[in-house]
This record gives sequence, C-alpha cells and structure tokens, in this order.
Amino acid sequence: MQQPPKISAPPRALRVDFHSSRGNQLTSKARIFTRRFAFYALLVLVAFVALFPIVSVLLGSVQKAQELYSGSSFFPTTFEWNNYVTAWNDGNFKTFLPNSLFYTVIAVIGILIVASMAGYALARIEFPGSKVVMFLILAIMIIPAPASFIAVYKVLVNMHLANTRQGYILVLIAEGLPLSIMIMRSFFVRQPKELEEAAVLDGSSSFGVFWRIMLPLARPGLAAVAVIEALHVWNEYLLALVIFNDDSLMPVQRGLTRFVSAETPQTNILLAATAISVLPIIVLYLFAQRNITQGIAEGAVK
Amino acid sequence: MASTPIAGKAKPRSFASKPRHRRRGLEAYLFLLPALVLIGVFTLIPFVQGIVLSFQSWDGVSTDTPFVGLDNYLRVFQDNIFWSSMLNAVIFGAVGLVIGGAVSLGMAMAVNKAKRFSAFFRTVYYVPGVFSVVVVGMMFSWLLDPRIGILNRFLGAIGLDALQHNWLNEPDTAVWAVAAVFVWYHWGFGFLLFLAGLQDIPKEYYEAAELDGASPWARFRYITWPDLAPVTTIVSILTLLGGLKIFGTVLVLTNGGPGYHTEVPTLRIYKEAFQFHRYGSAAAMSVIFGLGLVALSLFQLWISRRSNA
Repeated sequence: MQQPPKISAPPRALRVDFHSSRGNQLTSKARIFTRRFAFYALLVLVAFVALFPIVSVLLGSVQKAQELYSGSSFFPTTFEWNNYVTAWNDGNFKTFLPNSLFYTVIAVIGILIVASMAGYALARIEFPGSKVVMFLILAIMIIPAPASFIAVYKVLVNMHLANTRQGYILVLIAEGLPLSIMIMRSFFVRQPKELEEAAVLDGSSSFGVFWRIMLPLARPGLAAVAVIEALHVWNEYLLALVIFNDDSLMPVQRGLTRFVSAETPQTNILLAATAISVLPIIVLYLFAQRNITQGIAEGAVK
Repeated sequence: MASTPIAGKAKPRSFASKPRHRRRGLEAYLFLLPALVLIGVFTLIPFVQGIVLSFQSWDGVSTDTPFVGLDNYLRVFQDNIFWSSMLNAVIFGAVGLVIGGAVSLGMAMAVNKAKRFSAFFRTVYYVPGVFSVVVVGMMFSWLLDPRIGILNRFLGAIGLDALQHNWLNEPDTAVWAVAAVFVWYHWGFGFLLFLAGLQDIPKEYYEAAELDGASPWARFRYITWPDLAPVTTIVSILTLLGGLKIFGTVLVLTNGGPGYHTEVPTLRIYKEAFQFHRYGSAAAMSVIFGLGLVALSLFQLWISRRSNA
C-alpha cells in the first residue's frame, strides 16, 4: 500500500504559540514545527482513508483481469478501457444509465415545480388552514421510508403503477417534496414584500407574480433543492429494488445489483460498472460541492 | 430532518374586501394542490395502507386481502431473526454514534483549526457521503474480499497473515466489518454539522480563555463542548437513525449473512415480503420498526425545539 503524500507546513506559516514560546527559542520552534507536521499528517491521513476506496475502484476498473486477480500491481500497467465497453454492453449500462438520467431529470423538475408553488403559498399567502398544512408536512418528514416501502408497493400495485416509469417518478417526487417545500418556503419568506405589491397594483395575476417575480428571486433556493434532490434520486435504491422487474426500466443502482446476480461478472468489469454508475455523482459533487455540503448542514439543523 | 418554526409571524394585513380575502385563500390551495395530491396519494395513503395491511394477509399478487386479526403480529413477536436484526441495527447505530461521532467531532475541530487547505479537507471528507448504498457495498465487498481484497493483500505483504480474515463471511468479523463500513460511509455527515457548529462559536470566547491561561482541555470542556451540545444531540440521533435504517449496503455486502449475523430490519422486511410472500407480516414488522423510528424522530424534534427556544 502507498504512503500518503505528506504536506509539510511552510516555516513562514509559523505561529507563536502561547505555551511553547515560553521555553528555549530554538527547541520550541522545532517543537511547533513537529506539532504542525503531525497535525497536517493526520488531516492528510484521514483524507487518504476517505478517498482510497473510490480511487482503488477507478484504478481497478482499467486493469486486465489477470493483473487484478494476481495482485501484481495496485496501479494498472496497461489501461484496459475495454472493461467499460463490456460493462456498457453486456452489463446493460447502455440502458441503466439513460434510465437514471431520465428519472433524475424528470423527478427533479417535478420536485422544483411542485415544491416552489407550495413553498410560495406557505410563505406569502395568508389563508385559513396554513398552519395545518405546515404541520402536516413536518409530520410527514417523520415517516421513515424503510418502514413504509411495503405499503407504497401495495398502493402502486392497486393503481397498476408497479413496474412502471410513472410510478417510480411519482413516488420519487412525493418523497422529495417535504424537505424541498421547507427549503423553498424559507427562501420566499426572505424576499421583500414591495416588489410583489407593486406587481399586484400593476394588475399581475397571482400566478404571474409567482412566475415572473418571485421565482427568479428564489433561484439560489431552486439550485439548492435541485442539487440535493438530484443526489438523492440518483442514489435511490430501495424503491427501485421493490418496484422494477424489467431490466429495461431499471436505474443504475438497481442495475448494478442486477448485473451481479444475473451475470456474475469478473471483478474488473464490475468495477468499471461501479465507476459508470458513480461518475455522474462525482462530477455533480465537484461542481456543486458547496451547495451540497451547506444544504446538508442547514437541512439537518433547521 | 428539518423543522422550521411554524409559519412566520402572522402579519396584520388589510384586505380590500372579504371576497378578495377568500379568493386569496382559494389561490393558496391551487398553489398547494399538486403537492397535497402527491403527498396524499404516495405518502399518506401508504401510511394508512401499511397499518391496514398489517392486519391482513396478502401474497403480493391477488386482489384478495382477507383480515387475519393479530396473526401477523403474533408471528412477528415469535420471529427471533427479526428481533436479532433489530439488535444488529442498534449495534450499527451505536458504533456509528460512538466511533463515528468521535471521529467527526475530532476532524471537525482539526479542520476548523487548520489555517490552510481547510476547504479542501472539508470537500474531501464528505466524499464517502455522496456515494449510493450500492456503490459503497460494491467497493467494500471488493476491498474486503478474502482472496483478491486489498486489505488481506496488505496484511499479507507486511507479514501479518495471521490477521487475515474472510471479513464478511466469518460470524466473528462480519458485524464489525459492516459497522466499520457504516462509520466510513456516514461520519462525514456529522463532520459537516460539527464544523458548521464550531464556526458559529464566537472567537472571542477562546481569546478570553487563552488570556486567562486556560488549558486546551479546559477550553474544550468549558467552551466547545457546551456550545456544541445542540449539534451533538442532532448528530447523535440522526446517526442512530441512519444505523437503524441501514439496508442497501448490508444487502450488497453480506445479504444478512453469514447465517443471520448481519441481518437488519429493513432487509428482514424486504425478504419477508418479496422472498417469502408474507406481505401482511412484513407490514406488521414495518409498523413495529416504524414506531421505533418515529419515537426517535419525535425525541429529536422535541430536543431541537427546546434548544431553539
């Protein structure tokens, strides 16, 4: 196994520490340096542990089968891109990946439209029963998915929506709504009243005010909801496992377990398949990591 | 889970006339209609349906679901595997709580203190949290594979062959291997919350304490720890809930095995329904399991309300 690269703090970053500066100047400098070095070594070590599994999956996904099974090298000596072709065709990821993209795009658009409308009403319109609706939404967030998936399946069977794209998307939207409505509502609440009132005086309809004035103002909220829900929908597994029988309808997470049970693929092919299913998430995280990390921290503490 | 204080301050607003007021109310419900319909059909109806189904017998296909009274519950109460799966879930939650909590708090303090690269470390530490349960399962079934897994190869390479195990298939190691994967997967969540909490503590507190000559331990004990208390509570409960709900990762890593050593409630419910076709008793398990989860969530809401007030 490789040693993690060590980052040593440049000496000019030395900070005078209250306790150690009391002693001999020279030894205390050395001590501060050692302490800082240990401090950053720990940070790097933990970063290494966090990244090691995905890095090893990516490296293994381009290795030849013999090389991987023999364990002769951790790094690929030749790049076997054919693994990806095999996973794409034989593993049927040519079907699973577009399916996942479709479910994610449609469900996120659905969530954005429905949640922003509901969030707007709850933030800006006074109406009888608003407190009841708010309470209902908060209460629903408490119902845990693992305890209700059997019943969701039963309802879908009753509605002839089991093993259909529509059924999966509708449940995904419904699952994402409570948190998204709360996020959108908190963005609408912060907007000034004046713009809205001016538009009403100009004769705009309520929907016009919402669509042309309020929605553009709440763009950061829409972005936060889109990123968090895209992550959630792409990674969803339990419902996909329960709802789908047809390979042609399955998203990548379901497809990945399907691939293992149906084909027992070689490890390097399976790693390529895993990489295919995770690459879109890595790209999303690289571009929107601030949105994601902040959204998660705020969403939980609110 | 989020809880916003219910509907801001009710502002006194003058309405031109009563009909207009009523029209605004109608409009509000038009805006809410899609959300209410979707939540009603796909969340509330299943909620009721689940409770009803727990008193019925259903094979998953037929339209006939006869009532069987408390039969499902009696079966579940005698199902030792279900109860041991509940115990496993508690073990995963507890390990995540203690070890994951300690790691995430420690690393949050370190990153908060780091003068350089703190944004980089923050981003990297949350990386495991963005993977799906299936991907995490796939990664670690490979890394922990007895023959070609990197862990055993590493142990062999440094001469510690004696420590090699068939990690996921030996009763003694399987539970702890899954727990370790759970900690690796989830600690970044607590880390983000702790880091946000630490950044909210005023720097002046520490400066004042340092002038008074307080030791690092005293600063932690009398400033950091009490100020973080609300965050610690939320992280603890959400981690515990995460441990109880664990499913996909276990399905991929061990499928509950060897034997039933790593069985967890959600997996048990899934098998009861989709392998044994006893949907009624699966629903009864869901009700019992769900009650536990709801109790924990309510406890969390109560705590966070109290600390906000």
